[in-house]
Amino acid sequence: MQISSENILLMGSLLLLLTILASKTSFKLGIPALIVFLGIGMLAGSDGPGGIYFDDPKLAQFIGIFSLCFILFAGGFETKWESVKPIFWRGISLATIGVFVTALSTGLFLHFVIGLEFIYALLIGSIISSTDAAAVFSILRTKDIGLDHQTRSTLEFESGSNDPMAYILMLACINIITSGEMQIGEQIFFLVKQMVIGGVFGYALGRGGVYLINKINLSYEGLYSVLVTALLLFVFSITDLLGGNGFLAVYLFGVILANSSLIHKKSLVKFFDGIAWMMQSIMFLTLGLLVYPMQILPVLWAGIMISLFLMFVARPAGVMISLLFTKINFREKIFFSWVGLRGAVPIVFATYPYIYGIKDADLIFNVVFFISLSSVLIQGTTLPFFARKMKLVVHESERKKTPLELELSESIKTELMEFFVPHGSAIAGMRIVDLHFPRNAHIAMINRDEKFITPSGNTVLHEGDILIIMAEEKDVLRSVSDILSKRIDKPEEKPDAGETTPVESSPDS
Amino acid sequence: MRISDLLTPELITTELPVTDKNQVIEAMLKLIENDPRVIDFQKVRQSVFDREKVMSTGVGKNFAIPHGKTDSISDLIIAFGKSDEPINYSSLDGQPVYLVLLMVGKENNVSFNIKILSRVSRMMSNDQFREKLRLAASADEIRTIFSEEESKFFDL
Repeated sequence: MQISSENILLMGSLLLLLTILASKTSFKLGIPALIVFLGIGMLAGSDGPGGIYFDDPKLAQFIGIFSLCFILFAGGFETKWESVKPIFWRGISLATIGVFVTALSTGLFLHFVIGLEFIYALLIGSIISSTDAAAVFSILRTKDIGLDHQTRSTLEFESGSNDPMAYILMLACINIITSGEMQIGEQIFFLVKQMVIGGVFGYALGRGGVYLINKINLSYEGLYSVLVTALLLFVFSITDLLGGNGFLAVYLFGVILANSSLIHKKSLVKFFDGIAWMMQSIMFLTLGLLVYPMQILPVLWAGIMISLFLMFVARPAGVMISLLFTKINFREKIFFSWVGLRGAVPIVFATYPYIYGIKDADLIFNVVFFISLSSVLIQGTTLPFFARKMKLVVHESERKKTPLELELSESIKTELMEFFVPHGSAIAGMRIVDLHFPRNAHIAMINRDEKFITPSGNTVLHEGDILIIMAEEKDVLRSVSDILSKRIDKPEEKPDAGETTPVESSPDS
Repeated sequence: MRISDLLTPELITTELPVTDKNQVIEAMLKLIENDPRVIDFQKVRQSVFDREKVMSTGVGKNFAIPHGKTDSISDLIIAFGKSDEPINYSSLDGQPVYLVLLMVGKENNVSFNIKILSRVSRMMSNDQFREKLRLAASADEIRTIFSEEESKFFDL
């Protein structure tokens, strides 16, 4: 079957539905959801029972890049600076030196052992040198491995920020291949330029974006998601256009937004979390459709050898060298080495050789595809086991949840506010039912002596109680305040500090 | 977590102005203005005054607990101030205020914020504790008094 504009919605929606249903069982079986997504794409594709014919690397690449923009942005948007700060330098080191060492050692292996021309060997090494943010995030989070906070932050930060380095190395190799010259100096300049422009643009546009989002004053909350979508695509494309690294810029853009005070942040975080999942599903499905599993067979042996080398030599070497000057212990480094999950990013990168007309581009694509698949399958499923083996599992003390953790403040209409029952208030000693609260205000809870109690109409209020009041509008809170502020008619003592009134002076100074 | 651990000397003053309530709150905010946990001071200030507008935090027994919740801080902040002269804080019981505790909590941490407020309220309902605080002359002394009183409770 050919994908056409008429049937794309039907096929797309069916595939997405299947994917979601399958991901439910995959969690139970401990298979990373990503594999399921890819698998369904492959089954639906031309070599599988689905028989959907899709062979357009250019479109697949566009979908890949488009999705990556959102995935990287969402990754950045969830990054809290406080958790990155203590591990910033080791993360950066892993994302640059680590990636370089992994790419180079894989390249050398391919050149000397498999006998590939060095620059092609390095090209493949570069393509598979970055770990995949989508894979790492989803596996570390869904698997519920009780990893220690710093370990997890380091791995997540690394995976979010190492794609640019891999991308630049890959483009440098492609430049050398297409121009036929080994201009090392130029490529180093290219690398620095990509990083610097990407970094500066990501940061500056992030700052500007925060200002714009907070000042623009749109009339509908939903428009803010549209605004941020437009901004992040703009950040990627303008940076790319001006010779910077768009992936780095869009990731940084997310980090800056996440760590500034931003209007409607909660709804934006939710929106982009959903979008990131959707983009991941679409991207993996597309990549699964693009690959012809039958064509992987000829490169199977090479794939297995590279996979093993990558898992047991190249990635560990990258980790060990880039973390040489840190105080991280050896067991933890071994674990870091095992979290070298390749995923969609290398597969998207592997479409570049097609676009640039590099010879044997389909071989490269198939090898990379196989390596990514085996990495997520083998390393992804054994991670929890490894974490326990390396004694890195900490049992987080379970956080007690009270009903208040329901994020009530998120809906615009509901206000949640705490009120003290003041000393000397006429309502102390009264039953709630006798207070005559406004109809649209409720006492959701009472905290008395640090304990939450559930109020009923018969509950008698005490001085010093804290009432958590839920009201539909802010105005209602005023009438609640008036009720709570009723004074006992005859104060026991005369005030000794001038005139006091229960009515508030408004603080507009 | 203990309140006394958060009350570092620079977050304590023994000389609050006695002019009026707004001045007192401004003086308390001044204590936290340069704290590294503050991301956007104006928003912090606004959150405290917004809360005050709804109902006075002069909860009686010579004590006031202005507070706010905002996304513009990275972590809970507590500051303490006192005055030897009576402050007119329009408390409901008509009594002047001598002791003020400012608390700014994170927006999403509703139940934790309430626990802190409740802890403070519980401590402040102890007459001897308030008396000790009123007699204290230095930041260190105040911190010690808090620490002693808190040792009677579980960690938050």
